[in-house]
Amino acid sequence: MGKMIVSCQTCGLLCRPAAAVEPGRCPRCAAELALRRHASLQRTWALVVAAAICYVPANLLPVLTTNTLRSSESDTVLGGVIYLYTTGSWPLALIVLIASVMIPVGKLGALAYLLISIQRGSVEGSRKRTRVFRAVEFIGRWSMLDVFVIAFVVALVQLPPAMTAQPGPGVPFFAAVVVLTMFAALSFDPRLIWGGFAERRQRDG
Amino acid sequence: MADGDRDLHDLPQALEVPRRHTRISMVWIIPIVAALVSVGIAVQRISNEGPTITVVFKSAQGIEAGKSFIRFKDVNIGQVTAVQLSADYGKVEVSAKIAKSAAGLMVDGAQFWVVRPRITLSEISGLNTLLSGNYIGFEAGKSSTAQRNFTGLETPQVLSQDVAGRQFTLKANELGGAGVGSPIYYRRVPVGQVSSYDLTADGKAVDIRVFVNAPYDQYVKRETRFWNAGGLDVSIGANGINVRAESLAALLSGSLAFDTPAAASSADAAAADSVFTLHRDQAIAMKQPDAIARHYVLNFKESLQGLSVGAPVTFLGLSAGEVTAVGLTHDSITHDVKPRVDITIFPERLLATLPLEQQAAAAASDAAVRNSSAVLRLLVEERGMRAQLRSASLLTGQLYIALDYFPAAAKTKLDWSRDTPELPVTASTLPDLQEKLSSLLAKLDKFPLETIGADTTKALESLDQTLKDAGRLVNRVDAGVVPELRTTLEEARGTLSTARRVMKSAESTLVGPDAPAQQELRDTLQEVNRAAHAIRVLADSLERRPESLIRGRLKNP
Repeated sequence: MGKMIVSCQTCGLLCRPAAAVEPGRCPRCAAELALRRHASLQRTWALVVAAAICYVPANLLPVLTTNTLRSSESDTVLGGVIYLYTTGSWPLALIVLIASVMIPVGKLGALAYLLISIQRGSVEGSRKRTRVFRAVEFIGRWSMLDVFVIAFVVALVQLPPAMTAQPGPGVPFFAAVVVLTMFAALSFDPRLIWGGFAERRQRDG
Repeated sequence: MADGDRDLHDLPQALEVPRRHTRISMVWIIPIVAALVSVGIAVQRISNEGPTITVVFKSAQGIEAGKSFIRFKDVNIGQVTAVQLSADYGKVEVSAKIAKSAAGLMVDGAQFWVVRPRITLSEISGLNTLLSGNYIGFEAGKSSTAQRNFTGLETPQVLSQDVAGRQFTLKANELGGAGVGSPIYYRRVPVGQVSSYDLTADGKAVDIRVFVNAPYDQYVKRETRFWNAGGLDVSIGANGINVRAESLAALLSGSLAFDTPAAASSADAAAADSVFTLHRDQAIAMKQPDAIARHYVLNFKESLQGLSVGAPVTFLGLSAGEVTAVGLTHDSITHDVKPRVDITIFPERLLATLPLEQQAAAAASDAAVRNSSAVLRLLVEERGMRAQLRSASLLTGQLYIALDYFPAAAKTKLDWSRDTPELPVTASTLPDLQEKLSSLLAKLDKFPLETIGADTTKALESLDQTLKDAGRLVNRVDAGVVPELRTTLEEARGTLSTARRVMKSAESTLVGPDAPAQQELRDTLQEVNRAAHAIRVLADSLERRPESLIRGRLKNP
């Protein structure tokens, strides 16, 4: 255990941990050191679960209510996808479908997969799983597309009484899904992917 | 490894912090909050969920799932969730989700109809649907039994149930120009409308339900008359040409009107759902209620051409009744087929024309007046009252029946034993009018007008001659007698001065102003002058009125 060194997550200083379990603070920047991020699995799980919960109302509740002279329409995300598809703009439908439906689901699925595989101490495909994690992290920033679109639409389409647009109750949930998955990815410690590997090597060695 | 260890020992030692014992991270609050919020929203949504109803329409024109609303008093109370054909493909089932706040309205008797732009001649409605799209109109029912399946109306509900007013039923022979929504006028003010109509069960009449808005419904009295005011009412009768129209809209789309006769005995407002008769037009509707009607039959011997049912029967020129039927009668013994006219006489109309005090007296002796056949018998049998066909207008050839006195008529007896007594008739002056005219013309033709003219000329010539002779006579007197007398006098004056007194007296006898000869002459001349004047007057009068030669001078020119 004495051979163990720890890298400060903030300033990158390498130092010896004060104790194996509690590595202490960084002597340079006083940031708390951690061999692994604190309660990473638990936090990530909590955030993933929260995101999964929010995902349900995000898709069931309307995200945009447009009032025109003729009618008032409330659209859910999937409703919008179907509308785009039926009106012939299938590329747009595909973009919205990928950005708004598949990416959150994919992120949640990927994180859950990573967490489960870590907890099972699985070793196979650690490299592949690391790539999955990087993809999740990278992609996270793009999945707010819908929220941005709605924000723009609501801001721009205010021509009462001919036409107004209002965000629906689904928007906060949708934003919550995106933010929670981003936090989940952030709180996930990718080193855990390799933790089992190290333990196994230790056990084998 | 030793190098590594040394290197490691060169590294600074981290500071120790006390271990935290929290096993379960606070981060789990996030999913719990998320779950609570989600569940809360779900619960709220479900608790706010109103009932889903189904309305069956024949067609759901312009109704779209997810876009069309159900509106009550212009408030959205529900949204159409599905539009689909019924199982037998004959109808359209519209499913709609009703707001929870309006769930209590979904009871038996609630009415639904599709609101679309309606442009009729009498009104334009539903124009808002041009922008908003068609929607489903709703009218609350009065029942308290919850209902989820309804049958939609095909025509819009005209009247909202909370509009104050009263509904009445009109019985009519035919609908006329009226339709649902046709206005009802009272003194040309639109006060209500037709809410529905239907044939009676036997199919022989039409029941028209009308709704008169408050406060105008108070003007519907028990004796109020309704009539069909729609269309242009042009009637050519014995009364002349009568054109009436209520308003342009009414003219095109039909309408009803009502009024109460001024003489109505009861001023009570009619109860809701009262039944009235719908008359054909105002004139018929506003006729006095002829409670007492007496029917008589008239057997004429002349053509009835120009006499129509409804033609007036007058008594001494006053409207007394009308012709109810024109037909034939067949005498089973003589096999004579004669024209027959059924008339109805309303004695009350005649009573109404009496002076007020006499009316009062008549009203007091009601029974006796109602037994007016005695009066009629007296009139017919003693005074010679007869029915006669008369021409109301030579232009249209319309006839009417006049009851008038013909004192010269032969006395008859009325047969009161029959249901409809026969009144005696007298020949019309009309049919032989033509004959008389032609005979008059023939007489005129035969008349020696030219001879008369020549004679007149001759008379005038001889008159002229006479006048000339008279002039000559005067001249002779002047030229002959007077100079002679003067010479004689001169001679007498010159030769006989002693006999002046004699001569003077002779002078006074012959040439004085009072001399008899002179006087006679003057009288003669005055006579001639008068004769000439009379002839001139005769000539003038003949010139003005040649017919006076035939008919003599009028007493009062």
